[in-house]
Amino acid sequence: MTAKHLERGRQGEDIAASFVEELGWKILDRNVVFRGGELDIVAMDSSELVIAEVRTRAEGWMQPGEDSVGPRKLGRLVRSGRLYTDMTGWEGPWRIDILSVTMKKDGTHSIERFEDVTGGAWFS
Amino acid sequence: MNGVWGITLRGMEARKVEVEVEIAGGLFAISIVGLPDAAVRESKERVRAALRSLGLAVRGRVAVNLAPADLPKEGAVLDLPIALGIARAMGSIPDIPPGIFLGELALDGRLRGIRGAVAAAILARDSGIPLFVPDGNLEEVSLVSGCSAFGAESLEDVFAFLRGEKELKPAGEFVPSSGTCSPDPDFADIRGQAGARRALEIAAAGHHNVLFTGSPGSGKTLLARALQGILPPLSTDEFLETALVRSTLGIPFDRGMKPPFRTVHHTASIVSICGGGSTLRPGEVSLAHRGVLFLDEFPEFRRDLLEGLRQPLEDGRITVSRASGSVTYPCRVLLVAACNPCPCGWAGDPVEKCTCSVPELERYQRKISGPILDRIDLHVPVPRLLPEELVAVEDTGAEPSSAIAIRVRNARELQRKRWAGTGFSCNAELPERMVKRSLMLSADVRPFLSSMAERLRLSGRGISRVLKVARTIADLASTEKVQVPHVAEALAYRDGGGRS
Repeated sequence: MTAKHLERGRQGEDIAASFVEELGWKILDRNVVFRGGELDIVAMDSSELVIAEVRTRAEGWMQPGEDSVGPRKLGRLVRSGRLYTDMTGWEGPWRIDILSVTMKKDGTHSIERFEDVTGGAWFS
Repeated sequence: MNGVWGITLRGMEARKVEVEVEIAGGLFAISIVGLPDAAVRESKERVRAALRSLGLAVRGRVAVNLAPADLPKEGAVLDLPIALGIARAMGSIPDIPPGIFLGELALDGRLRGIRGAVAAAILARDSGIPLFVPDGNLEEVSLVSGCSAFGAESLEDVFAFLRGEKELKPAGEFVPSSGTCSPDPDFADIRGQAGARRALEIAAAGHHNVLFTGSPGSGKTLLARALQGILPPLSTDEFLETALVRSTLGIPFDRGMKPPFRTVHHTASIVSICGGGSTLRPGEVSLAHRGVLFLDEFPEFRRDLLEGLRQPLEDGRITVSRASGSVTYPCRVLLVAACNPCPCGWAGDPVEKCTCSVPELERYQRKISGPILDRIDLHVPVPRLLPEELVAVEDTGAEPSSAIAIRVRNARELQRKRWAGTGFSCNAELPERMVKRSLMLSADVRPFLSSMAERLRLSGRGISRVLKVARTIADLASTEKVQVPHVAEALAYRDGGGRS
């Protein structure tokens, strides 16, 4: 038996995955685990590699999902992203997107995408 | 990879900067190398937003190299070449033809006016390549004849031009504004002061320095301001020189050919007057080039500041040297200084009594050193008018500025014609070696001058300055030779007229 919030997170990732497929991205990997971080969805948006971090929240939470990715998490995503590109040998451009999934009480959901969240800021 | 040319300012001179861009894979980041200052480093945000406004999303790791690597780059003027370099590296625009591109980008892709466009135009003309500037700079750039310049309103315009979809606006012929404004104050409104009026006429005609000495309220400041109205208009070359200094500082361009008139308060620092700072900016003395530098309350200025003006007043050029380099600025100024005769202000007044002690008086007069006084050709006492003269309501009948201006202009024309080909435009500019040879003195001037020089203990510089003033007086009288009366009048204005 999984905890309820983990269950919800799993659902959110599935919703996000189908969302990006609808956008026309090709999903390469899901839940790639590295030491110090996990990549939820790795996909190809035409010629750019996208590392998508999925955040799921139930409706009514004070803080929206995208807000919970702070500098520390972003740093981890950048490091894991580098490990991933090194591992796969990807030499083209890549970026980090946040997909914020909100579960509503009536069983429906909404999803919002934040593109290229590092925006040129430097993360070592 | 082909580079895009931009500029950076080094003093008043524009230096070419080649912008090279390489885009590699990776997380988006822009790094700029080649000694950028803060404004250049911040350009990455402006460039990214401007490119995005045109639908270009920059991806990957962008390396921008500004060559030559050891020349410090300053200002936002490199925004446009950096944006073009990135767009080129992304393959969004075709190869960029040779040309110098200048402009600061707004976040929506508009081009903002920049400092140093005139210097860039000179560089572009000398290199024989076209210049692309923001629309706001097109007018001042048109001053530089022989430079093919084009104005663009936005980054989109430049892209469209490079893709061959649109022509850019070429710089037209420069048209000086013809609008004349009435002088304020006008000489017609000034009562009395015949001596000072005459001195100002000579000063305006030959660009000679003036020192007014007089009691408080005697009209020194008024007279100095009235000088503005009788100065001859600048020639196109002179105007270009003043526009170059102004453009270096980013002062908005003004089409009027009026010579500059800079009033400086006595709290001014040396750097603000002489130029300097980490970026080696020109100072007030260079902004007043070909015009008037007015120092009211002359003895209140810091002594080292006044001493710092010695060499520039003599040479018409000032070299600012700092750890970051040295730059030479022009500063051919007409210095107008005004001071009181003593600390209380009433020495020599017919009515009020001076209350200064002798040591006070000496200390006050010591504030202005001999070398500075020696560089001032026209020492003019400005006596206070008596109350009955001042309250008189009837028209003064004094000559208006417009009439004086005509005489001054004619005298200046004579000088321009005489010195044509030598690079000088007025008598005061003349170097020592040319003074005695080319002033056309009449035969009896030499014996007269040598006897007077001995009696008045004139310095070598004093003699040549007297001769230059005499030449100007002769020009005002439209006489070909300098006669004894001209020299005598010039001598009367030497130090000793009002002070000591």
